[in-house]
Amino acid sequence: MSKIVLKVNGQTRRLETKDSELLLDLLRDGLAVKSVKAACWRGECGLCTVLLNGHLVKSCLVLAVEAAGGEVTTAEGIGSDGELAPIQKAFIEHGAAQCGFCTPAFAITLHELLRKNPAPAQWELEEAVRGLICRCGTYNQIREAVASASSAYAGAEKSQNLVEGSR
Amino acid sequence: MSFGSPYLTLPEFEYHRPETIDEVIELLQKYGGDAAVMAGGVGLLAFMKERLVSPAHVIDIKGVKQLRQTKYTAGESIRIGASVTLSELAANDVLRTKFPALHNAASWIADSIIRERATLVGNMCEAIPWVDSPAALIALEAKVEIAGSQGTRSVNMDDFIRGPVEIDINPGEFVTGVMVPDVPPRKSAFDKFNTGAEFSLATVAVSVTTGKERKARIVYGAVSTKPVRCAEAEKIVVEEEASRRTFRKAAEAASESVECVSDVLASAEYRRQLIHLITMRALERVFEK
Repeated sequence: MSKIVLKVNGQTRRLETKDSELLLDLLRDGLAVKSVKAACWRGECGLCTVLLNGHLVKSCLVLAVEAAGGEVTTAEGIGSDGELAPIQKAFIEHGAAQCGFCTPAFAITLHELLRKNPAPAQWELEEAVRGLICRCGTYNQIREAVASASSAYAGAEKSQNLVEGSR
Repeated sequence: MSFGSPYLTLPEFEYHRPETIDEVIELLQKYGGDAAVMAGGVGLLAFMKERLVSPAHVIDIKGVKQLRQTKYTAGESIRIGASVTLSELAANDVLRTKFPALHNAASWIADSIIRERATLVGNMCEAIPWVDSPAALIALEAKVEIAGSQGTRSVNMDDFIRGPVEIDINPGEFVTGVMVPDVPPRKSAFDKFNTGAEFSLATVAVSVTTGKERKARIVYGAVSTKPVRCAEAEKIVVEEEASRRTFRKAAEAASESVECVSDVLASAEYRRQLIHLITMRALERVFEK
């Protein structure tokens, strides 16, 4: 067992972990972050995807100890000021969730995509979510949600540029 | 643990995070066959969940700065460290313009989220017949750099993979990176056929040096137990003028002469058809203006 400190959605958490524990298990069982879904456990479905130090990772393929001293963001942490992120709102508006099991993984992955590239081409969108599986097949609604959320991210990018430009 | 099935959890082990190559070697010497080296962990952790391997010690090499670097020296080589990720390589412009076969192979492996963790060296060392990078590395005459307590050595990629999941590495050694020579003017391309993100049914890497003397390497992966070169197709590409007719002739020669296996993914006959298709596509890309 080793003691680790990490930031999860902006909050500093201290806890004990076994070297063989997966980040997925630490998040779900140790920290009760339930948006991170456990399904295939072998990196195929992508529903345990989180941000680790700014990189999207499938947390079933990451050791908990590797996150020591690092920063984890899950779907719970992508909104700001108590509001959902634009892609999360768009998912609701467009009914992009049927059973909802894959929604957090799609939301965080698409949030990252749109933050970097607010108007992705069709192939860029497909490439970004190739590693995620929606069993219900709501891909069309997800595509609609991305299209409608796009402008909110383009705006955010512009204001971000203005802030950086004024420095 | 949520379910406790052996297929979902990892066997118990001790985690090590050394910061220098010497420390890695020390740990390997100390724990010998009980240790496994991990970079991205994408392959190792999956193998461990399946209990194909259960090392008592896992040595994470991501803390070794030197192994995280990619270094290009024009006219000489590009060296890619053992923990450089496939995402980093996909974003590497030198790799894209000077070593397209390797860039294509690296940027099409698995999916974009896996590529944030998976490494080129890890993909290569898995040496499962259907992984993508070995064919590209062989076509580009790569050398594998290995360190151990006896010092360092370098092995031609041609000889590094001996068979399915069998590589030229001794106890106490580990791969520190790969070196690909930069020999302009050279053109290259990689192509593959797969039905999902995970398994390729056939891959091809072509490299052609177009200087005074034309040289070609045409390498197939995922069709047999290890990557194979096709001398017949190489000869046609070297000796005949670049044209669709020549490409077809080379594709036919490869399709007839490369030994293919039948397995759960595809029959040997189907693989022969795929070889024809991807050879045409790769040769057209190599020779396009």
